[in-house]
Amino acid sequence: MTSEERFQQIVDAEEKIEPSDWMPDAYRATLIRQIAQHAHSEIIGMQPEGNWITRTPTLHRKAILMAKVQDEAGHGLYLYSAAETLGVKRDELQELLHQGRHKYSSIFNYPTLSWADIGTIGWLVDGAAITNQVMLTRCSYGPYARAMVRICKEESFHQRQGYELLIRLCQGSPEQKAMAQDALDRWWWPSLMMFGPHDTDSTHTEQSMTWRIKRVSNDDLRQQFVDMTVPQAEYLGLTIPDPELRWNPERGHYDFGEIDWDEFWRVVKGHGPMNRDRVAHKVRAWEEGAWVREAAAVHAAKSHRRQVA
Amino acid sequence: MILAQRLGELISNAPELEIDIAIGNIALDHLGVARALYGHVAKLEGEGRDEDHYAMFRDEREFLNLLLVEQPNGDFAQTVVRQMLFDVYQLQLWEDLSTSKDRVLAGIAGKAMKEAAYHERFSAGWVVRLGDGTEESHTRTQGALDRLWQYTGEMFEGEQAVYQASWERRVKTVITEAGLVVPDDPYQRTGGRQGFHTEHLGHLLTEMQWMQRSHPGLQW
Amino acid sequence: MVSVVLELDRVREAVSAVVDPEIPVMTIADLGILREVVIEDGRVVVVITPTYSGCPAMRQIEDDVRTALCDLGVEDAEVRMVYHPAWGTDRITPEGHRKLASFGIAPPGDETSILCPRCRADRPRMIARFGSTACKALMVCSACGEPFDWFKQL
Repeated sequence: MTSEERFQQIVDAEEKIEPSDWMPDAYRATLIRQIAQHAHSEIIGMQPEGNWITRTPTLHRKAILMAKVQDEAGHGLYLYSAAETLGVKRDELQELLHQGRHKYSSIFNYPTLSWADIGTIGWLVDGAAITNQVMLTRCSYGPYARAMVRICKEESFHQRQGYELLIRLCQGSPEQKAMAQDALDRWWWPSLMMFGPHDTDSTHTEQSMTWRIKRVSNDDLRQQFVDMTVPQAEYLGLTIPDPELRWNPERGHYDFGEIDWDEFWRVVKGHGPMNRDRVAHKVRAWEEGAWVREAAAVHAAKSHRRQVA
Repeated sequence: MILAQRLGELISNAPELEIDIAIGNIALDHLGVARALYGHVAKLEGEGRDEDHYAMFRDEREFLNLLLVEQPNGDFAQTVVRQMLFDVYQLQLWEDLSTSKDRVLAGIAGKAMKEAAYHERFSAGWVVRLGDGTEESHTRTQGALDRLWQYTGEMFEGEQAVYQASWERRVKTVITEAGLVVPDDPYQRTGGRQGFHTEHLGHLLTEMQWMQRSHPGLQW
Repeated sequence: MVSVVLELDRVREAVSAVVDPEIPVMTIADLGILREVVIEDGRVVVVITPTYSGCPAMRQIEDDVRTALCDLGVEDAEVRMVYHPAWGTDRITPEGHRKLASFGIAPPGDETSILCPRCRADRPRMIARFGSTACKALMVCSACGEPFDWFKQL
């Protein structure tokens, strides 16, 4: 039996691949790309939400939002560490992000324009992320699967908080409810885009399914998300901006309209409303901090020398 | 409260991810303490106010915070120097209040004291690292110290004078370890506790209070 | 009187089962957040204490405690937050330690005695003293490379 066959046997037996196990180069590369993209998304995702930390309407909401953004930074760090088990360094991955050679979730290329956006991100964006991540808790790569288990729990907490924020708005004044509706109008389609292209157009899906990195196809995940979310929108009394959305009793699922794929690809290719700003913000913070990192390294070297002497 | 708001501005802007997380954490602790104190004051006053009243509906002159904490974040050297000067002071204040006869206040202080110890470890650690690091980091940190020193005297006005000697001892130890010089600046700017602020506070409050002020009377 | 005692036991049991929203394998009793359940002037009082001053989960926990009480038909209850004496990790029960470890989080203890929850190797590397939540630090095992959270000693 070749190494490759043995590897596939382990995967097919639903056992986990661990860092020291043999794995095909392409499997390693796929995982690095995917985990890094996930980590980058957590980090870039801090920006749209961080945009509201100084302007929350109440102190309670400020505490929740600060904690949430901090959770995201923590998850990013956790995921970079998971990627490092595959033999890359966090700095290399960040560099790829800064150069625009690595992607992050396109959803963060949309701006947060009102307070309701913060609730909507928790409800829809975290909801979509959880749908995806629940699947990943069964991923064949051990460190990633285990990271997902813990991250999922914390994300569920965020989703609940986001939804609760919207309940408050929807039960509030007409002005507050309009704010919530406007946010849903802007975030609905980008959230559906989070599941990626149609299965027929997805280049990675088939191989990832064989390797059991991915277990459910993009379109199936998207359907799960829609089925879960529509009743929640009804409870809020908000209208999902899709005239074709209706329950299909034969399928036992909601039918929904077609995503604007031109927009999807435009944002993926870097031409969404915020792509440039997000990366520029990240690069600026990194460059402005260069002297701090350098100072820390020099101090560490000096202390080491002093200790030796 | 004011420092939590200032640190909140920094989130997603730190020199590295670990620092971003630490700053978020410290901001959250300050916010938590502020909320607990506001809640306690509200009970003592007994006029049915809540924490948001104190944060969102008071005007600049009604805020009695120290001038030090309303100073802008500046570069990372200014942020950590401001934090260190304040943490050392807070550590003593909370330690003292943790034995207060007011049981609720003592409880809040006891908790805050444990957290302040973590904060001081972070801020003093960075002051030393920056002071002892490169020529650039040394210059920036000394500059931050020289600029912020004028706001430290205010901490020890009135009854709080009892904390000054031990504060100076600890702060000097950190400054010396960092290879920096204790500023020799007799000028001390005060007034925060009388609601007489620097011009920075108004801008901070404008941003913080905007939602409540522009949509009054709603539940969020 | 007997019925009141029985009732109180039932309330205590239900409240003890409320879980932490971020580490749902842990109950608030395991974490030592639940301090006591008593009856004052014929009214149920649930006393809880925050782990960290800024912990945003406290209000959620308060709501969940109320829901648990409502499910028992206890409508008139007070959930009281106390700060004194301050919470510390020594409040986490032995059962809580066991649950943390099985969830993949190294339980609190001396910094030099942290073990990788997967391979039990000692001396992991600390990546960040502050992790995703205030109560955790991020560690990486020096032997198997596994990243994991350590519930910090406080």
